[in-house]
Amino acid sequence: MILEIALLCGLVVFSAAAIILRDLLKAAICLAAASLLLGIVYFRMNAPYIGVFEISVVAGMITVLFIVTIALTKTGGDVREAKAAEWIFPLVLVLFLAVDILVAKSLINKIPALESLPEQGTFGEVLWKMRTFDLVGQIGLIFAGVLGVLALFRKRSKDE
Amino acid sequence: MSNTWLVYMSFAALLLFIGLYCLLTMRNLIKLVIGVVIGAKGFGLALVATGLVKKNIILAQALAVTFVVVEVCVVALALALIINIYRKDGSLDVRRLTKLKG
Repeated sequence: MILEIALLCGLVVFSAAAIILRDLLKAAICLAAASLLLGIVYFRMNAPYIGVFEISVVAGMITVLFIVTIALTKTGGDVREAKAAEWIFPLVLVLFLAVDILVAKSLINKIPALESLPEQGTFGEVLWKMRTFDLVGQIGLIFAGVLGVLALFRKRSKDE
Repeated sequence: MSNTWLVYMSFAALLLFIGLYCLLTMRNLIKLVIGVVIGAKGFGLALVATGLVKKNIILAQALAVTFVVVEVCVVALALALIINIYRKDGSLDVRRLTKLKG
């Protein structure tokens, strides 16, 4: 459990760094490192499939998308953030942590106890047989995403 | 058992808080998308941790995989929108997005 807590602390530190850092490239790389740590936590939690997804898709693909976007919007991309926002952030984070530690225990006891179902089959069976409707939704979503990106990058015709 | 859940849920809440803080205070459009991704990490962690504690981790993983796909679609579309906004306005500042202001 101690290793998990250390990994989760690292995850929070990298996430906070991704927000505080001015340089967007460094922020994107911090985000990738945070995803990597989260993937390792998933592996330690006996959830290898989502761990692989987290590391390959979120740490890999989303980072590439971010870096491409940052490279394409390099000039004039320096936005002045509010000074106060960066200043207050550690303070608010510590405050929220304190509230979290104080309140979480009583909140978590109020969650109605779900009955724990017995494990049914393998990951593939659950994904393809039990959650088939989710998969149909996913396919529709991927199509919508692809069509949206294509529509945004289409060549303008001359009369526009 | 409940202690494990408490630790994971506390960290998930912390991640969601960091994401929300970023969404509320930052002005750079790319930073806003980074905030969304951090919040999504917190949500995924909560989902898988609940599956672990309730002894149903395979179903939790199936749901989390669905969520990762949703997250990737959202990020790809948002970044495409950002590139288009940058080409039109030449700026990534969210305060300059006033074209639709009445």
